[in-house]
Amino acid sequence: MTGLREEVDLVAPVERAARLLSSKGLDFYDVTAAHSRSLTVNLLGKGIKDARSTTDLGLGVRAFKNRGTGQAYSQSLKPADVKALVERAVGFARVAQPDPYFKEIPGPSKAPRVGGVYDAAVEALTLGEASGLVRRTIESVEGVRAGAAFEGGFGTYCGQMFFRASTGVEVETERTYVSVGVMATYREGDDVGSSYEYDYAVSLGEIDFEEVGAKAAKKAVEQFSSRSVESGTLPVVVSPDSASSLYLALLVAISGSSVVKGRTYASELLGKEVAPPILEIRDDGTIPGAVASDTYDGEGVPRKPVTVVEGGRVRTFLHNSYSAGIAGVETTGHAIRAGYTGGVGAGPTNIRVKPGDSSLREMIAETRRGILIDHASFNPNMVSGELSSTVDEGFLIEGGERAHPVRNLMMGGHILELYRNIEAVSREGRTLGKGHFFPAVKIRGVKLAGK
Amino acid sequence: MEDLLEWIVQRGVGGGAGFCEARFFEERSSSISVENGVAETLMSGIVTGLGVRVIVDGRWGFASTNVLTRRSAERALGDAMGAARALATSGGEEARIAEAEANRDRVVHKVKVKPEDVSPEEKVKRVLEIERAARGLSDRVKDTFLSYRDVVTRVMVCNSFGTLVEEVTPRTYVYTSVIALRGGNRQVGFESVGNVAGFEIVDAIQPEEFSRRAAERAVKLLDAHPPPRGTYPVVVNQKVGGLFVHEAFGHNSEGDLIFGGQSIVSDKLGQRIASPLVTITDDPTQLKHGHFAYDHEGTRGRPHRIVKDGILVGFLHSLESAAKLGAEPEGSARAQSHHHPPIVRMSNTYFAPGNLSLEEILEDVDRGVYLSGSQYGYVHTQRGQFTCKVEQAWMIEKGELTEHLRDVAINGGVLDALRNVTAVGRDFKMEFPGMCGKEGQGMYVDGGAPHMRIDGIVVGGRR
Repeated sequence: MTGLREEVDLVAPVERAARLLSSKGLDFYDVTAAHSRSLTVNLLGKGIKDARSTTDLGLGVRAFKNRGTGQAYSQSLKPADVKALVERAVGFARVAQPDPYFKEIPGPSKAPRVGGVYDAAVEALTLGEASGLVRRTIESVEGVRAGAAFEGGFGTYCGQMFFRASTGVEVETERTYVSVGVMATYREGDDVGSSYEYDYAVSLGEIDFEEVGAKAAKKAVEQFSSRSVESGTLPVVVSPDSASSLYLALLVAISGSSVVKGRTYASELLGKEVAPPILEIRDDGTIPGAVASDTYDGEGVPRKPVTVVEGGRVRTFLHNSYSAGIAGVETTGHAIRAGYTGGVGAGPTNIRVKPGDSSLREMIAETRRGILIDHASFNPNMVSGELSSTVDEGFLIEGGERAHPVRNLMMGGHILELYRNIEAVSREGRTLGKGHFFPAVKIRGVKLAGK
Repeated sequence: MEDLLEWIVQRGVGGGAGFCEARFFEERSSSISVENGVAETLMSGIVTGLGVRVIVDGRWGFASTNVLTRRSAERALGDAMGAARALATSGGEEARIAEAEANRDRVVHKVKVKPEDVSPEEKVKRVLEIERAARGLSDRVKDTFLSYRDVVTRVMVCNSFGTLVEEVTPRTYVYTSVIALRGGNRQVGFESVGNVAGFEIVDAIQPEEFSRRAAERAVKLLDAHPPPRGTYPVVVNQKVGGLFVHEAFGHNSEGDLIFGGQSIVSDKLGQRIASPLVTITDDPTQLKHGHFAYDHEGTRGRPHRIVKDGILVGFLHSLESAAKLGAEPEGSARAQSHHHPPIVRMSNTYFAPGNLSLEEILEDVDRGVYLSGSQYGYVHTQRGQFTCKVEQAWMIEKGELTEHLRDVAINGGVLDALRNVTAVGRDFKMEFPGMCGKEGQGMYVDGGAPHMRIDGIVVGGRR
């Protein structure tokens, strides 16, 4: 039992709302209450700029009638406000039209508890202590090179959520989250060296505040004297720091109702080969202590690990009960509940990409001419899959070595073309939040637009 | 509520705060989602609470709560003061603030049709009519989606300068997207309209000019080609110009990023940074999506000229950035909710029109790209590097629009691009209503421009 739970009773307002809803002749309903406290220390300019403490509390209701959905939320848990909230949701449900795809919301299940998603040290942290941690990051930046202008910050989140559904599902979660990110910017006349580094975790002890600062500063200094390069078709090596968005571009596109309703470029990819056999991607929301882990998903369905891509082939989509109902399969336990304010979507949890047998160093050494991408968003048009993105931080590779940083360089293509052209996956990678694992990849024949 | 806010400010000052601000925030929204002719989800939300900001011992502290009792407000004040004191020995940015005149006012933006006076049934009926137009166009139309949202925002700002202002702002927004499909080729078209307005904005929508237009665009994009890659002269339409001025330049002119050393133009006030054809203004007084009377520090909003004839003449300011940069506060600080402190934000940002027609702008282009419609953009203000993703494009060959292109993005250096503006049209429009993200806060903004020509822009592509 933690301080948070002692402080705010979420169960009573949920029960009050559920009692009211149960008398309205609905087909289904669920009620969610959430409470959180967040601390933030922000960086700007010379260092720490301000400190903030935020407390949030709210209640949300989903009411289902004749396959139509009414939703309402409020940040007041007073009995009169809860009653008004229920009336709004029920009224909306009666006006909403039948969703031909909607079948039901899940019933209760039992699953072994996934632990380690709450760290009492995060809840107990004071703003004074938080500013001390941020000072360590700042001093680490300054230790590499003095004179940085800063942007970024440190934040903690300690949240409790309770939801109950008319089907008998009842889930209570409590979790913590801590993050630090720092942008270090140096100037030499009109030349700028600037870079961002970050980390996040469930627990304070998982984060190395000095390393974040040192990496930001070193990467920033390396960005001086960036140059444009010629347009061309070249291999790119995507570093572990940048590869996460490449993997997310696929996993988001195979998630939830969008993919089964034919709204993403991945809608026909189930069972299809999208990459060479070396690529294997697992999604595992049951890793103890990981940022995206939990015992149950956002509908009370047990989380379970799934192999999403195996031998280069898409083995499953990621489902909540709604998308699973459309596809005629069982939910994979990937429902995401947006606190008390919104509906229930679907998406990946901890993404684990299987390490390959190359090293990042070998990938670069074996590249006669190419681009090393340290920071870019592989953010395709989710409908068409076509991609046109900037290499935000990268280096020209010449003769197997990093030559100089590049600027104003874009890459174009189809996201599936990039996946098909994966040549190698690295042994080493970046672990984030104790759950994600992102190795580097080498992709041949990427179309680059420069000078 | 006034009493509670004034009580908190008095207690803050009495407790040693050099500056104290208490801000009440309430946002009541309702929304409808329509998929393929079915209004399947209706939603309503109420966000309400109190944010307290103080300067104690030269440091900023902020805290918020959504429990609106004296006890909870007092606790938020204590948390804010404790937050500032926690930073007392941490170095970094000193908190300073410009002396502001005390404003006392109440502004309620009037609308013709209050959304709360329209029943949910009527709203559903109207949005279904609008959405229906998209579905009859072609059997290539695979999927239609429409979202409607109305929101009334009430903000009260009380501070230790004696300011107590309240502003009630209704906004209404409609967005539609249409997916067209042929074989494995999927394309999307979209349209949106939004403003400080009531349901009259929905009544004014002509479905043929809105959802049907989005459908036509999606279907036509099936036959469009990927763009060639390389560096080209580009001609941008008003929506792309609106995105470009916001991303490529607007963020770089925000006062907090200026004093924080995060902008490429931090040291360039009074210098030529753009072509003489370029004049840029941010104007919250225009009745567009970013409109307001008072910012969230209680400062009256005024038009801000940022670039005049290519010379950088000003920045956007909060009370803090005005103090640190020796400028007059002009009302550019806004906050997403009570959980967020005010930070420097754009409002309605635009390039001023010139005197050319589109034909005159195009006629000098031997080979270039015409960019139309905006999707999204971002900028690294520290390096001055921007990216803008547009909806569709055409090749320009010998002054004529030829091959239809899709999935086009451009990037470049902010200052290079502004210096390379070589033609500015007279056909100004501001029609890019949207939400801008900064430091985790979303904020209502708009962007506008006439047709413009910019040389030497990198176009990303597959060919």
